[in-house]
Amino acid sequence: MTQAVPPDKVAASLRRIFGPEAETTVLTVGADTVLRVTRGDTLLGFATVRNVTGKDQPITFLVAIDPDDRLKDVDILVYREPYGGEVAYEAWRRQFRGKSAADSVRVGREIRAISGATISVHAVTLGVKRALADLTHWHQTGAIR
Amino acid sequence: MLSVVERLGLTAALFMAAAVPAVAQETTTLGGYGEVHYTNVRGRNTPAEVNLRRFVVYLAHTFNDRLTFRSELEVEDAKVEGGSSGGEVALEQAFLDYRVADALTLRTGLVLPPVGIVNESHEPPTFNGVDRPAFDHDVIPTTWREIGVGIVGQLPVADGWNYRLYLVNGLRADGFSDAEGIRGGRQEGREASFANPSLTGRLEWARPAGGLRVGVSFWYGGTTAGDTLLGRGSFDAPIAVLSADARYQRGPVALRAVLATVSVSDADTINALYGSAVGTRIAGGYLEGAYEFVRHLSAFVRHERYDTQADVPTGTTRDAAFARRVTTFGLSFKPTWNTVFKGDYTLLRTAAGTGGGETLRLGMGYQF
Repeated sequence: MTQAVPPDKVAASLRRIFGPEAETTVLTVGADTVLRVTRGDTLLGFATVRNVTGKDQPITFLVAIDPDDRLKDVDILVYREPYGGEVAYEAWRRQFRGKSAADSVRVGREIRAISGATISVHAVTLGVKRALADLTHWHQTGAIR
Repeated sequence: MLSVVERLGLTAALFMAAAVPAVAQETTTLGGYGEVHYTNVRGRNTPAEVNLRRFVVYLAHTFNDRLTFRSELEVEDAKVEGGSSGGEVALEQAFLDYRVADALTLRTGLVLPPVGIVNESHEPPTFNGVDRPAFDHDVIPTTWREIGVGIVGQLPVADGWNYRLYLVNGLRADGFSDAEGIRGGRQEGREASFANPSLTGRLEWARPAGGLRVGVSFWYGGTTAGDTLLGRGSFDAPIAVLSADARYQRGPVALRAVLATVSVSDADTINALYGSAVGTRIAGGYLEGAYEFVRHLSAFVRHERYDTQADVPTGTTRDAAFARRVTTFGLSFKPTWNTVFKGDYTLLRTAAGTGGGETLRLGMGYQF
């Protein structure tokens, strides 16, 4: 049995990030799934949906990159803990925009800490870093194109 | 033919399920925190002491996407042995959460009154100093936990607002003291009297972009001792705790401030009955600043001022030795965000000029 993450949340997130005319194709890279986002013949970018564990609950998030492998946006699709939900706020998430896999992404430096939401902040930051690194690697090695 | 928008809305919804990683329905989470202290009180004949201060196991179980059990089981001072004092095995928290929505989670069990900062956020890597602030011992009696029911969640008014509100058992007046205020009145979930249920809650705002969290919190309710003289009805002769706190973090700078005032409206009766010298008002606060001057290494200074006899009832003599000023400065080295090595030096001064002292502490702490 699994807890359902409504797929329409993924679609809504991609529409918000890439615009209403974005089309999506599902690619698989090994055991991972990548969403390829296009508009007509134009590649808009790639996205992946993952879970990280907060204090005891999974946090489901989406990371999207543009064709130049810059992070386009992060979305928190499902946050299940009773506190620490500040990581879902746009004002905090937007700090990741424009980062590339080579950029330093550290809590307390490039990414602001949130007192009282330490676990979520570190979990999401690490999850985003890994997703960005994977997408970039797959794109640069031609595993996704 | 489907329009482009619909293609994302409908068709996408069908195949995108494949892109969403599965989350197991029933999961058990094991975690914990702990701390080891080295304490050396300055002076002759006060040899240093080392102590495994806390070893806590965090155990949570998620039954489905709405119901989660969370608990902390603590061993204090490493060992509990029959016939010898010291040491403690206790449940610090044990409650069941039923999540209705982001704005509403119903909570039942042994909960932490959300007063101040340290009572809820008490894992060693989350605060500076080997020991918790003295204020969080004598004014806000951490780790404060009582049994009750309540609601917690995000206030849907705007980003960043959170609340908690609990109805819990009241404090026992027979445990109150001159030096530690209401601390000895905690019932901690052990065959607790429910004669005077109390309300406790917190409203807080976290800046959505991060970096700042401010909160106000309270406790309100009658005291209990199974003693008719002190009243038995709800909220009879109440204890009122009011507190405000702030945490700010920006780059290498971290600041904290907490203020609290406790009014014990029944202090005269309590003192007459138990021969104690509880203040009618217990008040104080602290300010703390930290600077991470090298990556992972912070220096901090904290100044606490509090008085467990800020006001005393008629017939009780005020002892200026309970008006304390505690200055602590030291270092925190955090190789990761959830591990810490600490060292600090504390200067305790009292308005009476007596009962002061200086203490060197070293410590290690972790959480996961």
